[in-house]
Amino acid sequence: MAMLEVKHIEKHFGDTKVLNDISFSLEQGDVVSIIGSSGSGKTTLLRCLNFLERADGGSIAVNGETLFNAGDRSAQSDGEIRKRRLHFGLVFQSFNLFPQYTALKNVMLAKELLAREQPDFKRRRKEILNEIEHQARQLLIQMGLADRMSNYPHQLSGGQQQRVAIARALALEPDILCFDEPTSALDPELTGEVLRVIRELAEKKTTMIIVTHEMAFARDVASHVIFMDNGYIVEQGDPVQVIEHPKEERTRQFLAHYAQK
Amino acid sequence: MELFQQQLPIVIHSLNIGFLQTLKLFFVTLIGAIPLGLVIAFGSMSRFKPLSWLSRTIVWIIRGTPLMIQLLIIYYFPGLVLGNNIWGSGEAGRFLASAISFIINYACYFSEIYRGGIQGVPHGQNEAGLVLGMTKRQIFFKVTLLQMIKRIVPPMSNEIITLVKDTSLARIIALQEIIWAGQAFMKGSQGISGAIWPLFFTAVYYLACNGILTILLGRLERRLDYFR
Amino acid sequence: MRKVTALLLALVMCLSLASCGGSSNSAEEQEAPASAASDLQNVQSKGTLVVGITDFEPMDYKDENGNWIGFDADLATAFAESLGVSVEFAEINWDNKILELDGGSIDCIWNGMTLTDEVTSAASCSNPYMRNAQVVVLPADKAEEYADIESLAGLTFAVESGSAGEEAVNELGYATTPVTAQADALMEVAAGTSDAAVIDLLMAYAMVGEGTSYDNLTYTFTLNEEQYGVAFRQDSDLTDALNAFFAAQYADGSLDALAEQYGLAGSVIPQ
Repeated sequence: MAMLEVKHIEKHFGDTKVLNDISFSLEQGDVVSIIGSSGSGKTTLLRCLNFLERADGGSIAVNGETLFNAGDRSAQSDGEIRKRRLHFGLVFQSFNLFPQYTALKNVMLAKELLAREQPDFKRRRKEILNEIEHQARQLLIQMGLADRMSNYPHQLSGGQQQRVAIARALALEPDILCFDEPTSALDPELTGEVLRVIRELAEKKTTMIIVTHEMAFARDVASHVIFMDNGYIVEQGDPVQVIEHPKEERTRQFLAHYAQK
Repeated sequence: MELFQQQLPIVIHSLNIGFLQTLKLFFVTLIGAIPLGLVIAFGSMSRFKPLSWLSRTIVWIIRGTPLMIQLLIIYYFPGLVLGNNIWGSGEAGRFLASAISFIINYACYFSEIYRGGIQGVPHGQNEAGLVLGMTKRQIFFKVTLLQMIKRIVPPMSNEIITLVKDTSLARIIALQEIIWAGQAFMKGSQGISGAIWPLFFTAVYYLACNGILTILLGRLERRLDYFR
Repeated sequence: MRKVTALLLALVMCLSLASCGGSSNSAEEQEAPASAASDLQNVQSKGTLVVGITDFEPMDYKDENGNWIGFDADLATAFAESLGVSVEFAEINWDNKILELDGGSIDCIWNGMTLTDEVTSAASCSNPYMRNAQVVVLPADKAEEYADIESLAGLTFAVESGSAGEEAVNELGYATTPVTAQADALMEVAAGTSDAAVIDLLMAYAMVGEGTSYDNLTYTFTLNEEQYGVAFRQDSDLTDALNAFFAAQYADGSLDALAEQYGLAGSVIPQ
């Protein structure tokens, strides 16, 4: 059984259809790269997976549990969605760190708030909070930010901020971690440090979906590549095959356009 | 000089009483307008069209007309047009009418500042909270509220300092605030007549009051300086 | 959730609007019997006569204890007593005196008020009870340069907005600078921002010349004689009551005695 099963996802904005019959699946430890020009629907697809947009049709299932079914409106209340979206993590293009908290607190905050909902929180308060802080520190060390934990976001470089954002997403231990163009807002010399961190996560068999413009990175790190155009999945499969030997004409055009740049 | 020494305690006493009225109007306006402004701000931003239309129209009318006219209308309209003077004739009624005019007027100005503050927090903050499994309540209180406050403190400081000075407008409906008290000595009051200096002396009160406010609000602004 | 909040807010706003409308209806209902009753009955039923004044020595001003005294204040107190009600003084903005009267926040204007067309046409006025004149105030060192009223043409006159002095200068066709109080008009001259001022003789007597606050000013020409009266709402029966009261006070000599007390001897008009 596939870990993530996405079937027939459709999405409209007004009269414009932005996602058409999107289906794919991935296994535990897979890394999927989604490529395509801007406006092709890649970001909207990620947002549908994270319930920032509600798909108009189709279904999403993780580990056999249906998280979303467009036909079943009853299960789409805010409270329900909130629990289900925790299967996914999302790293934004523009980081979206909380500016009023330190790097460490950014990583801890959501987990702390969730911990308060545990029935034994009051009794084990100290113990639980210590655990959360320990985990957050480990994650930041893993991201190479051991000496930046008490800095506020504005005191960090873009690359450092994005690494804090990755740690923040990992803190909730999502089944699948999504990246929405994680290096697009960075100066070129800062993209390397972020890509290196993602590569390390791939080596540790973290299941990830990465929307990216970095073709070389997609080819080297991904186990699977999806090329989207105009709301459709045009081609998907083995990265070397899709990127080096595309079958479809549109994929070729897109890649040729990229090679020129 | 001797005359001045004789007059000073009388004038100071009178100005103190007037200034008390000024301060009362100032604080009552803040206490009323700060929450009412939030209600109007949410009304203006509502997706329910008639409500946002109504709120925006009220804000447009109140901000588009002078506070002095609003004071005159609120105080005299019930008696003149509706035939029922609801304010009575004493100082208490004049104060109440002034307070209501000021609260409505300032709430409209505050609502626009709040609206800017709320809409100025990047949408990404809300989305970051959502994907981390926070409730809307948690996002508001833990993430966006402080960023909003940081954005509204400087423009609110300006309005608050303007409010201190605007209270003097209430003398159009004969609220005896500090400038009224100062002017009384020009016309002649308590044996002092034709004295001009008490009027100018009121400026010292305004300056002192705004000096303290500037320090306090500046301190608040600096306390929020640790993040951007 | 947001929709519900929005609806609630809309409802609250509508209700408050409706209640405004509602209260205006009930006001008319309450007003109907009230307007049928006379002004005198209204004053007697509420038990107070509200007198609209400004701080204006020697007509209405405060003593050391903060109580209102003066020629007009004492007279108003006695009049209220004669009606069997208590007196209440309300300081008003002189510019809004007719608004205050018609709006019902005061029952009369009794403050050394000159009987001008403005007040006699907008209010019911008592018989005149005191003489006054408008005088021209000039800096003492320049007074000699002006021999007659014609020589004043070209000067700018500071006048109290809405006062009899303003009317007098306008009749002459000279330039005016309206200010909010007679004392402000004096300040204009003292500061040199206006060439001259026109104020009440009574006021000039108290405030201008040697031994006063403005010892470098002087008053010269008398523009026109004026008379003081008391204003009530249109068609008020309090006017007749006051005229009768004035007649009685004059007959037994108390009006003159009061004038003497406040340094106004000789100004009282026989009733």
